[in-house]
Amino acid sequence: MLLKTLGIALIIGGFGLWGLSRAWSIEKRVEELKNIRLALGFLEKEITCTHTPLSHALVRTAYFCEPPTAVLFEESGKLLQSRQGATAGEAWRAGMKKLASNSALTAGDINLLESIAAQLGMSDANEQRKVFELLQEELKMQEEKAREEVKSGHKLWTYGGFIVGTAVVILLI
Amino acid sequence: MTSFNKELFRKEVLPYFASPIKEMLMKLGDEHYLHLEEIRMRYGQPLIFKLGDRDFTMDVQGRLSNDIRTGYRIGEDDLYRTIASISDNSLYAFEEEIKRGFITVAGGHRVGLAGQVVLQGDTVKTLKNFSSICFRIAREVKDCALPLLSYINGGDRMVRNTLIISPPRCGKTTILRDLARILANGSKRFPAFNVAIIDERSELAGSYQGKPQLDVGVRTDVLDSCPKAQGMIMALRSLSPQVIITDEIGRPEDVEAIEECVNAGVAVISSVHASNVDELQKRPIMRKLLSSRAFHIGVILSRVKGPGHIQDIVRWD
Repeated sequence: MLLKTLGIALIIGGFGLWGLSRAWSIEKRVEELKNIRLALGFLEKEITCTHTPLSHALVRTAYFCEPPTAVLFEESGKLLQSRQGATAGEAWRAGMKKLASNSALTAGDINLLESIAAQLGMSDANEQRKVFELLQEELKMQEEKAREEVKSGHKLWTYGGFIVGTAVVILLI
Repeated sequence: MTSFNKELFRKEVLPYFASPIKEMLMKLGDEHYLHLEEIRMRYGQPLIFKLGDRDFTMDVQGRLSNDIRTGYRIGEDDLYRTIASISDNSLYAFEEEIKRGFITVAGGHRVGLAGQVVLQGDTVKTLKNFSSICFRIAREVKDCALPLLSYINGGDRMVRNTLIISPPRCGKTTILRDLARILANGSKRFPAFNVAIIDERSELAGSYQGKPQLDVGVRTDVLDSCPKAQGMIMALRSLSPQVIITDEIGRPEDVEAIEECVNAGVAVISSVHASNVDELQKRPIMRKLLSSRAFHIGVILSRVKGPGHIQDIVRWD
């Protein structure tokens, strides 16, 4: 009887935690999208207003940025500063790879962020401004969608895990 | 003697090139670095080095050849990576330089660029879709101007206003730089002067981020990337120079600024593109300048015995 009770608690608790982690991840994604959008705004100013070389601009952005999004700017900036022959695009993709393994962003978010890799640093300040403004707009739209998802999905995942766990227990019994 | 060598090449030039080209350039023989003047990359065309007066190429195995057709063909990625590296992946930080068609890198080496020109009204806004790179090696040839000193010395702490007349690639910029160094440092035979260099194209002092990379002497001020005429007047008012040195004059405003400086008691040493005085006289602006007697002597350079060969000295005083 004790084992049975323990098993039931483990199943419900396991599914419940899984649901809670998904609910937390949905909320975290909104926060990360917002942080990246704000950081890109900072990077845009570094590039278009002060004409800071890209490697330094990226490292400076990382300094003012919240983790885990800071890892994108730090990794790409340091790779460029190491002067190993990496282009800005390659450095940005390396930063994205590190960020993706450590964040709540979806594959769609990552693809969107990777879209600027080829243009990063390789045009005049006016063109760079356009690239960054477009990306920030797109990220804002993505952020709005993520907020909607929080509204509809947060409760579902928070309680859904426990409900699924309970359903599994009932089926097993 | 020239101060450029393999060590400087590996430190100042090599890091800018895309990997395949970097590997080939590392295979150049020690003796080649002394004569290396240019490295040219043109999209779809062979890699070309100018060693002295002659063009050479190299294949992937690093074999040097004067049969240009056998050389390594430059691809889009080679150009992209080299330009990314030269601009520190930040073309936006070099807008003014790109408008002028070149970027000066650390060490004073000049990288000429060609590609698609973007216009804004009638003026060049920028270059994009780059198709060629010309990497010109900046080299100092210390004491190359020594033979000129006896002509330039006007006695009684005076420097004669001097015009160096030379076709391209005969060493006029190198001689002007060395003159600045000698005059600013002074010597037993020659007193020291305050020198101002007006370096419109960052060639004379090879400035990188405003700081001279080449030895222009201890009493030299450099106005980098500054239009010549404006720079001469600025220097005259703010730097109290005794000698003003500038390169490649030719515009009406340059002539006016030179006359202003000469009449203010400042010696001017400058250069102009021409093979001889007759050619110079055919240009109305230069004819006006010569007839004003602003310059006391003309030094005509040629490459008959290599760059910097003094072909003739003309006196107008």
